[in-house]
Amino acid sequence: MERIIPVGPYHPLLEEAEYFTLKVDGETVVDIDIEIGWMHRGHEFISESMTFTQSIYLVERICGICSTSHPLAFVHAVEDVCNVEVPVRAKIIRTLVGELERIHSHLLWVGLAGHFIGYDTVWMWAWKYREPVLQMFEIISGNRNHYGMMRIGGVGRDVEPDSIPEMEKILDEIEKKMDMLVKVVRDDPVLKSRLKGVGVLKKEDAINFCAVGPTARASDVGIDVRKDEPKDAYDMVDFEVIVLPNGDVYDKFVVRVLEIIESVKICRQCLKLLRTERGPVLNKVKEIPPGEGIGRYEAPRGEVFHYVRTDGSNRAVRHKVRAPSYANIPTCKASCIGIPVADALITTASVDPCYCCTERAVRVIDEKNRELHIDLLRLSREKTERIRREA
Amino acid sequence: MLSEVLGKFKEDYKDLITVRREKKDRLYFYVEDSRLREVVEHIFHKLGCRLSTATALERPDGFEVIYHFSHDGSGVYLCPTVFIPNKDNPEMNSITPIVRGAEWIEREMMEMFGIKFREHPRPEKLLTLNHPEKVDKPLRIGGK
Amino acid sequence: MSWYTKKLAKSIWVFHVSASPCNNCDIEILDLLTPKYDLERFGIKLVGSIRHADVLLVTGILNKKVAPRVKYIYEQAPKPIFVVGVGSCPASGTVFKGGYNYPSKVLSEISFDIYIPGCPPKPEAMIEGIMKLVEVLNA
Repeated sequence: MERIIPVGPYHPLLEEAEYFTLKVDGETVVDIDIEIGWMHRGHEFISESMTFTQSIYLVERICGICSTSHPLAFVHAVEDVCNVEVPVRAKIIRTLVGELERIHSHLLWVGLAGHFIGYDTVWMWAWKYREPVLQMFEIISGNRNHYGMMRIGGVGRDVEPDSIPEMEKILDEIEKKMDMLVKVVRDDPVLKSRLKGVGVLKKEDAINFCAVGPTARASDVGIDVRKDEPKDAYDMVDFEVIVLPNGDVYDKFVVRVLEIIESVKICRQCLKLLRTERGPVLNKVKEIPPGEGIGRYEAPRGEVFHYVRTDGSNRAVRHKVRAPSYANIPTCKASCIGIPVADALITTASVDPCYCCTERAVRVIDEKNRELHIDLLRLSREKTERIRREA
Repeated sequence: MLSEVLGKFKEDYKDLITVRREKKDRLYFYVEDSRLREVVEHIFHKLGCRLSTATALERPDGFEVIYHFSHDGSGVYLCPTVFIPNKDNPEMNSITPIVRGAEWIEREMMEMFGIKFREHPRPEKLLTLNHPEKVDKPLRIGGK
Repeated sequence: MSWYTKKLAKSIWVFHVSASPCNNCDIEILDLLTPKYDLERFGIKLVGSIRHADVLLVTGILNKKVAPRVKYIYEQAPKPIFVVGVGSCPASGTVFKGGYNYPSKVLSEISFDIYIPGCPPKPEAMIEGIMKLVEVLNA
């Protein structure tokens, strides 16, 4: 007999307002449906009444975690229209800020994933080692999030040469702790038995739903905007793209942890280049000609896409935003079928959904309208306890 | 190799497409609504491109719907555009039967601009479903 | 009621509602529980049900779709309940003022006690805001 479990929009476990409906048959999930719109604030509408420079501040506030990716993609789109040359020092600073954001976002996800499966130690440690990264942001731009650094034709602020040795010391500290995290992921038996083989997304489904980012790279689809269309300083640094074949939650975890190591490598190379490269950081643009442009950037969750159509004035005629979670969240329909209810929450969280980017108390009611009480968080934690006892 | 692929594409389909703007790695062209599915089938299955998103915009004489397909590996974008001259009841063919990832994108365009997509499997609102006030085609000129 | 609020101030339980924010303030609120700022040493903790809470923490602009749900939560809370708005969004809507999804008619029916401005407010500013609330309760 099928039952329907609504989850959300305000659930003790979920940080944002999300509304899932799970159709279950016994313990197994048969179908999942998602309703969005709780975060919709009307960015595209407001952007038509703002100038290009004002839009950079608006676009930053689409999401607090990817608050470098959206301005960078927007600035790339406008630069695609007017073909302006960005100075080299500005390119290196943009890459440095973007990669630091990737480190802080992946550490955030690792902490939340640990919290969902009942492993609170992972949460506290991952977020403790995230603090030095936020300190680096404060040294570069003055704020922990929402930096306001991007401009059309360059960046708004320069990096002081005296702060570079301090930042290199902080990077050394982060690297030591990340080695510890890699060992945890490889050797911990609870994580392996909880996450291996759960919520598998096959390669054909990933291609049909047009998934992007670590969700696609963990299902053997090797796409990365940093290698496909290298802008800024990505053609001046050395790094690898991590691709894994299985498509389950464990692979998505490992892809993110290994990407943190690659990002630390890129940041080190950027700081070394900043010592020798001098020059201006902004190439002022006086006028944007009529035309259209496409800009993209590899955010921690995948490809961010912005399209801008201009008519020669100082506002955009049409500004279209597509965040990576828009393409990744529907893949839940393919990866959530056939899994037990206790694993439903970690599978939907493994695509790293950012509902504010996408849009711009559990009660179980069976068909006779009788109420039963099921707690998804408690089910998830009880499963971890069971596995620990058996291991 | 890339310019060969693009050149062959333009040659094979030169009766169906009208190039609107061409840059180093962006190709924008017009397609008739009735031949859209053929062209999309070729781009998605034969060339192996991925759909990034689709944009709808309102012009004084009608609507334009632009699909953005990314050729990963080279960074080139192929953008078939459909022009709908009807302002009161705009309609066109949906590509969701070919590309499953277009479902949410077309639902949002239906909601914001009022464009009807024929043969879409689930033509209901996406962002303002169950909204307490009446929100009707907000991104159109004069919409609310 | 002052003997009750004095006891309450020793250990405040907080319920957090995210009503269409950009998520930055929410992450900074969760940051307060981590080892660097550690709010639990003041006896403050986050709870999962509004029926257990003394303070309702609201972030975001409260768009038209979500605001009736927030009012429903506010009505379910056991009184006295103190409502704290974190960030500049509940105070004024910041950059989203011209949009079609703001403001909601329900917004004026929820009365806020404290606003903590900032985009996002630094964790130290949030701790100061909560301490002001504790002072008021102790008075």
